[in-house]
Amino acid sequence: MPELVLDTVAKTFGDTQVIRSLSATVEDGEFLVLLGPSGCGKSTLLRMIAGLTEITAGEIRFDGKRANDWSPRERDVAFVFQSYALYPHMTVRGNIAFPLVMDAFRPWHHLPLVNGWMRRRRMKDPAIAARTDAIARQLELDPLIDRRPAGLSGGQRQRVALARALIRDPSIYLLDEPLSNLDARLRMQMRAEISSLHHKVGKTFVYVTHDQVEAMTMATRIIVLDKGEVQQIGTPDEIYHAPANTFVARFVGSPSMNLLTVDGEGAQLRISPSLSFAHGEAAPRAGRLVFGIRPEKLELRPPGEGPLPAEVVVVESLGAEIVVGCRLQAGGTRDHLIDHDLVFVRRPGNERPALGSPCSLSFAAGDVVWFDAVTGLRLKP
Amino acid sequence: MAAKTTMRTSALGARAAGYLFIVPPVIYLGVFMFWPLARQMWMSLTNTTLARPNDGVFVGLANYARLLETPAFYASLRITVVYASLAVLLGVTLGVVSALAINRPFRGRAVVRGILLFGWAVPNVAAALIWLWMFNERSGVFNKMLLGMGFSRLRWLTSIDWSLPSILIVTVWQVAPFVMLVTLAALQSVPEEVREAARVDGADPLNVFRNVTWPHILPSVQLAALLVAVWSIRRFDIIYLLTGGGPLGSTSTLVVKIRQTAFEAHELGIASAYGAVGLLLALLVAGIHNLVDRRRMRWVAER
Repeated sequence: MPELVLDTVAKTFGDTQVIRSLSATVEDGEFLVLLGPSGCGKSTLLRMIAGLTEITAGEIRFDGKRANDWSPRERDVAFVFQSYALYPHMTVRGNIAFPLVMDAFRPWHHLPLVNGWMRRRRMKDPAIAARTDAIARQLELDPLIDRRPAGLSGGQRQRVALARALIRDPSIYLLDEPLSNLDARLRMQMRAEISSLHHKVGKTFVYVTHDQVEAMTMATRIIVLDKGEVQQIGTPDEIYHAPANTFVARFVGSPSMNLLTVDGEGAQLRISPSLSFAHGEAAPRAGRLVFGIRPEKLELRPPGEGPLPAEVVVVESLGAEIVVGCRLQAGGTRDHLIDHDLVFVRRPGNERPALGSPCSLSFAAGDVVWFDAVTGLRLKP
Repeated sequence: MAAKTTMRTSALGARAAGYLFIVPPVIYLGVFMFWPLARQMWMSLTNTTLARPNDGVFVGLANYARLLETPAFYASLRITVVYASLAVLLGVTLGVVSALAINRPFRGRAVVRGILLFGWAVPNVAAALIWLWMFNERSGVFNKMLLGMGFSRLRWLTSIDWSLPSILIVTVWQVAPFVMLVTLAALQSVPEEVREAARVDGADPLNVFRNVTWPHILPSVQLAALLVAVWSIRRFDIIYLLTGGGPLGSTSTLVVKIRQTAFEAHELGIASAYGAVGLLLALLVAGIHNLVDRRRMRWVAER
């Protein structure tokens, strides 16, 4: 399956429009992440690709063929649910083998008695058993093969869900926030496992998450969604370094990009009537702008040395690095702290500046990202 | 040390509180259930009669021996088993099928559900009287319908062949809504994602039902079946009001037989023996349910 195309796809539930006209192309073998806050329509989009939710308008094409009315089976997709959705009364083996058993199913097997007999035969089928065992071994589930989901931990259930997706060797893997029910350590481990799985099978993965760290670490391409609309499509690097608008800038990165609304007058930028600072170069244009800079591009310096006077308000040590939250200061006195979002600085090491101590911030003009103050769109340099 | 003692006392107190809480139901059940039950068991070993309810003389197992010699006892036992099994089979099947039908959203669903629940909401005596009227040989609506379609009248309640089926019709009409209600509740808790997973895995609708829905609702259906079975074994009002156990004992279940023996033949001893057999039957059903339940529950406990 080389290509999946979403062509002006839209979805409405009653009067609520969940997705407004969305177009994108998913290339063969890529790891596409749908990233966005809850309620942005990313899960709905994934379910539409899977064929679990109907499409209100637009077209989904698999390999150039219109697939709007195809069943999930015809689309040859595998779906990993957030809740894992394992079959509680079946053993791990039964769960993993289920798609193959269903493949071998013929309508006349529905006849009473035939059904049970055929099922037992399928489970003993050497081809199915071998394939099940191989997949179970690949995901280190072989010691658990005869247990039932109730007796497994969250991570193990997650693995069973992955194994069930893997067994039929589908052309597209769809994963709906598969790691959100796991604890932090396990999440990191599974993240790596899913990434390596993607490399191993070389198939297309579409992965839904609201966690930007997952998106940044796993994706080859990210679609950032908000309120049912595409905000940006790009590689993790593009999304991080050249966010298309202030929403993307705020959503991606932790802490997120510092955004300051300023009035530009040449190289002089005014934040408030009493605070203006010199920017190394001229702003891209005069008037109201949003000045954006990543926390790691700001430098914390002794007072007076940088163009932006500030005061340390929050210090968070993360071990290898430290995040300092500052409040900008007008007029050089403590009485004139400017009331707006904190400006965050990220720096390596663990040297903690004292809370309340005065400081200043400096930056390189080339690291600044500019946005239009009204539309929020990034201004191309 | 002091803290330890306090802890021990409070643990003791907590345990005592537990026992204290179960004292009222134990007293209640003891007075109104276990004492009469024990008395009945004792009575089944005496020759008590209705005229002298307190002067029974111990006769050992003579009452049971007499039961085993009476053909009417076997007939009654057979009728009870047939009646209860068919009530379970038909009532549960109909209840589950209607629950599945009504579980999908459609226009007028609330009205249909209300109508289907009607049988369960009507008090037994009222229901029996309504059906008595409908079954009436001369003026009943069923025979009118039969005549209208060109058939001859049926003696719904007064022929040996039709009396038990007629009573079963009423029973199923009453029991199926209950099963439907229980099943509907279970159906509403079937996880949607698992059903969708089965669809993605290539299961057709019947396979989704067989592999996801049915295993999920099975415990509820089984419980409903147990209740229906026990209720059927001890059902009295409908049968007594519709046929009184007749004609010729063709609808005389154990419970109806108890009344006959106790209050028409005045033989409390033998009636008690009938009661003991009925109890045994109910226990047997509960035992089977328990066994099946435990086998099924094993996978939940499995670690």
